[in-house]
Amino acid sequence: MTGKFRLARHTTVAACQDLLAIEPLIVHGDDDLLTVMRRAAGHPETRLIGVVDDAGILVGVLPVLRVAESVIGRVVPEALLSDIEDIDDVARFGHAIEARTAGEAMIERAVTSPDATIDQAFRVMHTRHLSGLYIVDADGRPTGYLDLLELAIRYVEVIETDPSRPS
Amino acid sequence: MIPWGDDAVVLTALIFVVTYALIATERIDKTIAALLGGTAVVVVGIVDQEEAFGAIDLNVIFLLAGMMTMATILRRTGFFQWLAIRSAKFAGAEPYRLLVVLSVVCALLSAVLDNVTTVVLLAPVTLYLARVLRVSPVPFLISQILASNIGGTATLIGDPPNILIGSAAGLGFLEFLLNMGPIAVAILIVFVISTRFLFGRDMAVHDDVKEAIFELDEREVLTDERLLRISLVVIGATIVGFMVATPLGLEAGTIALLGAAVLLLVSGVEVEPVLREVEWPTLFFFVGLFMLVEAVVHVGIIDALAAALIDLTGGDPTVTTIGLLWLSGIASAIIDNIPYTATMIPVVQQMGASGIPIEPLWWSLALGACLGGNATIVGASANVVVANMAGRSGHPIGFLEFARYGVLVAVVSLLMSSVYLYGRYLL
Repeated sequence: MTGKFRLARHTTVAACQDLLAIEPLIVHGDDDLLTVMRRAAGHPETRLIGVVDDAGILVGVLPVLRVAESVIGRVVPEALLSDIEDIDDVARFGHAIEARTAGEAMIERAVTSPDATIDQAFRVMHTRHLSGLYIVDADGRPTGYLDLLELAIRYVEVIETDPSRPS
Repeated sequence: MIPWGDDAVVLTALIFVVTYALIATERIDKTIAALLGGTAVVVVGIVDQEEAFGAIDLNVIFLLAGMMTMATILRRTGFFQWLAIRSAKFAGAEPYRLLVVLSVVCALLSAVLDNVTTVVLLAPVTLYLARVLRVSPVPFLISQILASNIGGTATLIGDPPNILIGSAAGLGFLEFLLNMGPIAVAILIVFVISTRFLFGRDMAVHDDVKEAIFELDEREVLTDERLLRISLVVIGATIVGFMVATPLGLEAGTIALLGAAVLLLVSGVEVEPVLREVEWPTLFFFVGLFMLVEAVVHVGIIDALAAALIDLTGGDPTVTTIGLLWLSGIASAIIDNIPYTATMIPVVQQMGASGIPIEPLWWSLALGACLGGNATIVGASANVVVANMAGRSGHPIGFLEFARYGVLVAVVSLLMSSVYLYGRYLL
């Protein structure tokens, strides 16, 4: 196993969370999408919004792009209609124009635990095509956020500064 | 080849039944099922490779591949969305008129392009319009599915069963248009009139919500006007080509491939991404079916089936033709009409060889296979795809909800077809 693989397989999510220190962006299911979009604009480093219920448990996630699509779909639907080529695009468009709240627009939650490794977190983000992941406690309440891009940057930086790396 | 003797019949029947059961129940992907069935009959020695491969109707494969390639290029232009918005404005943003106009547009497009592409690409605008007008999109989507299957009945290239029948029977585009066109138009007219009673209720909306539809700018959805113009010209020329193909001694598959090649050349689009979007699973589905059905013909099952059907109808042309229409309609409502048609083509050929006039039988099979698909949500590819898409968009279409309209439309269509077949070919 190379040093690069060891790094991903042995570094925990908790360790990375401390390193990245990006605040989760949490909204409620009945929050209006326009409000959500404005809040997201104030947290540019958080590309995945967490949606919680009244008990504060994460019930879904909302990619920023999806929020933007829902709002754009209301104002200038032509912008989204022109890109539709297949059934997946249609379903996505249909979902976008119907959604008015975070709960209606959200997708199935994607989470990791503090004990999981970075390698496992990467795999979840890759499989779900998400740019971030919420770290939750045993009850499912969000305790942190892991951002794919920030994580990838730190990862490359660590590898580049590794003294054992061949020059 | 393994000398199976009479056991070959039993083994072939077993492979055939298992394959069709897998296709019908979707326990495994239908393309895999067809390919497994088609290769199994070769591997166990029921037919040899040359015979099995020779049974693959390349005219059908090339016709489908050519039309799929052209449709792939056309759908990149935003044409369908443009047409849907124009139709909405033409309908004055009145929900019921909109339903009628979109249904007719869907039927016309489905006559020359594949039904799934048509309904899928008209759907997003439909969803948006329904949302703006604050009415349910479900009646619009169901109406478009039904119209699409009716429109597809009209031409050689409108529905896969017609492509299969046309190629096997040597019937060209014009013959389909002249024989299937009139009844398809009549059914469409009756369907459009009946939509008032089927879907016309609860469609009143306030004028203020209509404004949003007139504010839509259809030109904004066109992604490439040059490509659109080129695509429409080449597709139009291809359709003219279909009309003159038979006198020139050319197959429709050749014309479709030529059209696809010309469009790829003059449009300048990258070939690889376009060809990647061709529905290869559908083409391989046909390959497997052709091989499997060849084995069923080879061992004599088709002869026996045809003889049994002739016994049942007493060999009377009227009873046989009308019986085949209803059998095909009912079967296509339950199972995929492509494998059904592939199996029934040799049966019809055998019936023709026994002295029953064959031309009415071809039209009977085509009408039954295409129109029967309207009865249930699983009856045709377009039905399944739209139901899936509607569900994912938050507007599920249930089996019974669809059947409420679909069965009625299918039964009326088959009744009209019965009268048409009798009056035109059997009197």
